[in-house]
Amino acid sequence: MYFKMVSGSIIRRRSRMVVAFLAVAIGATILSGLITIYYDIPRQMGQEFRSYGANMILVPEADGAEADGVLTDDTVRQVRGCLDAEELVGMAPYKYEIIKINEQPFMAAGTDLAEAKKTSPYWYVTGNWPVRPDEALIGKEISNAIRIVPGDRFEISGTDANGGIFTAAFQVSGVVETGGSEEAFVFMAGQALFDIIKEPVSYDVVECSVSASSARLGEIRDMIEANTAGVSPRLVQKITQSEGTVLTKLQALVYLVTLVVLVLTMICVATTMMAVVTERRKEIGLRKALGASNGSIIAEFFGEAIFIGILGGILGVVLGYFFAQFVGSNVFGRDISMRPLLIPATLLVSVLITALACIIPVRRATDVDPAVVLKGE
Amino acid sequence: MFWRLVRGALFRQKGKMLMVAFTVALGASLATAMLNVMLDVGDKVNQELKAYGANINVIPKEASLLDDLYGVEEDRDASAKYLPESELGNIKTIFWAFNIVDFTPYFDLNVKLGGSADEADAADVKLVGTWFAHHMDLPTGETLDTGMANMKNWWTVEGEWIDDSDTEGVMVGSEAARRAGIGLGDRVTVTLPPHSKQFEVKGIFTSGSDEDSQIYAALPAVQALAGKEGLVKRVEVSALTTPDNELSRRAAQNPKSLSTKEWETWYCTAYVSAICYQIDEAIEGSVSKPIRQVAESEGAILEKTQLLMLLITILSLAGSALGISNLVTAGVMERSKELGLLKAIGGGSLPISMLVLTEIVLTGIIGGACGYFIGLGFAQIIGHSVFGGAINIKPMVIPLVAVLVFLVTVLGSIPAIRLILRLRPTEVLHGR
Repeated sequence: MYFKMVSGSIIRRRSRMVVAFLAVAIGATILSGLITIYYDIPRQMGQEFRSYGANMILVPEADGAEADGVLTDDTVRQVRGCLDAEELVGMAPYKYEIIKINEQPFMAAGTDLAEAKKTSPYWYVTGNWPVRPDEALIGKEISNAIRIVPGDRFEISGTDANGGIFTAAFQVSGVVETGGSEEAFVFMAGQALFDIIKEPVSYDVVECSVSASSARLGEIRDMIEANTAGVSPRLVQKITQSEGTVLTKLQALVYLVTLVVLVLTMICVATTMMAVVTERRKEIGLRKALGASNGSIIAEFFGEAIFIGILGGILGVVLGYFFAQFVGSNVFGRDISMRPLLIPATLLVSVLITALACIIPVRRATDVDPAVVLKGE
Repeated sequence: MFWRLVRGALFRQKGKMLMVAFTVALGASLATAMLNVMLDVGDKVNQELKAYGANINVIPKEASLLDDLYGVEEDRDASAKYLPESELGNIKTIFWAFNIVDFTPYFDLNVKLGGSADEADAADVKLVGTWFAHHMDLPTGETLDTGMANMKNWWTVEGEWIDDSDTEGVMVGSEAARRAGIGLGDRVTVTLPPHSKQFEVKGIFTSGSDEDSQIYAALPAVQALAGKEGLVKRVEVSALTTPDNELSRRAAQNPKSLSTKEWETWYCTAYVSAICYQIDEAIEGSVSKPIRQVAESEGAILEKTQLLMLLITILSLAGSALGISNLVTAGVMERSKELGLLKAIGGGSLPISMLVLTEIVLTGIIGGACGYFIGLGFAQIIGHSVFGGAINIKPMVIPLVAVLVFLVTVLGSIPAIRLILRLRPTEVLHGR
């Protein structure tokens, strides 16, 4: 019987410790998980916002009335060199030229089609993107107007740079639908267009899709302006400003939610710790009766709290990391970067909270006369 | 006897029960706040995304987008068709009227800027007539304020937005102003033979797109200049939409290819294609097109945000559930002595377990009710500080929170009840 009572007491005590430990771990999980997400939102959502298309355009520098800058493949390469490969989502140069199909005027756009696909992910393409140089993507307007569908061939004609008449045959690889002016364009590989119109390579505009905050975009613009001659970069205000507002709001939302969740879990941790300590008032009284000082009792409880706090904090950091990764892979389909500083911060907060939660009931218990406590009142 | 015991526990052990009720209230408030915010976040973020501009473009059936091609082909009167301005209110009467946030009509004209048209140096410029902040009384008896000032809120305006009744003022794009050397307060003359009209420059705006090289004026002024009173060329509609799926894609290609049931589902869901279809029905001779750049991206971002909030909500619900059950367990453990005494004087395990459960569930109900209202407060704090507006309170949150609180308190007492079953009166009363 005696042995059973002793072992029972230990097990019971342990289960109470597990309760406190679990409470701390939950708090730490929420803290580290949500804060990781909070910091990663601009990066992750920024990527999503790139589906709105280009947020910066490069145009040839215009000095007075004469356009003296030229955008060539070299310029594109040079600008690409200025940018972080991680930040740059896509960069598509465009050359516009008026052409005729069946004697009706249309606009042809020569571009780097692989990059155009990246900068304008919102294009609805029925059929395929062009692969060969004699394939083209036509807008829905054109498709309706002259009744051609993917697989058909059509001929374009026009006047080239030397004043001669050119004609060229293309095959429709796909029809693009955007709801905007692109629906009246013919898209083809840039080089193919320059070959046909016999002009040296010089683009009208370069669309860039850069995943960065609006402040960083401003820096990038200044950097390109300073480093590349003949190019004037402009931010597409509609895209950049709205992205800024929406991102700020989202971040503020997660921030507030984190705060509310944190405060609540902290109170939970504190109440659990209080319950655990209050239960041991008798033990405290007994120790005091045996001559222990208030300081030593508080120190001992403190040590216990720190122990629980650290253990719970470590478990919380690990669980929080997995939670953040789970969110990252499920919501964004990407890894979430963990901030190393968050680990000591979480541990510190867990320890502080458990210690604080402990100190109030222990204080109350030590303040009372041991005789009163032991008598069971 | 049973109820006397329960009442006794509730009233005499106020401190302990308050603690349990407090924890339950905390957990319930968190659950309430998170669920309400999660259910409303879609609408809220959607509102924010409206800053990207309209997602539906309504044009007359006969018009083509060719004019967008840098004004390649401008048929003045020959084939250009118009939409009647008087029918615009119908947009607010469609099935998804509630989802239409804003709409603005446009009437654009290519005009000469400066003196008379014979002057060779007179620059071509696009004059756009529109609503800036238009007040409408709808046939349904509702009123609506709509217009450019809402739709193009990313414009940086030097000077001021003009008033709709002001047919003498214009807003000039920064690029157009720079080219023509126009400043705030200047008077400009626009000419469209045979008419010409003088306007005062009330504002200069920068938008970062080709709008910068255009001039905006009140709709009636431009209609009068063109001699087309009561007609508009194009309407931009900003609508809250549901992300596209397989069904809506098929419907967008040809609504007639759907079966009756699919068609009903499609028509009654706020897909951008369904809203377009309904606008076509509401305005005679119109064709609505989704602006993919906006419609598509909104869908993607909304989906991500909702999923993110869902996961965060689940985490916090799990957190509050564990927190509650933790405290309930601790609360029961604390009372082992009292329960041991009950057993010693002949109480069976089952009645005692029932007693404890009843006490806890009662406390949980009280705590949960308080928590629900505290949670509503939290949700409103979040709504006001993040989105600057109230969060819609969804009644479906109440049963969800109720079930959660009930399950959690009952599940949380399982370890405690197992403890009661194992309790030996002698051990407990001995005091250890």
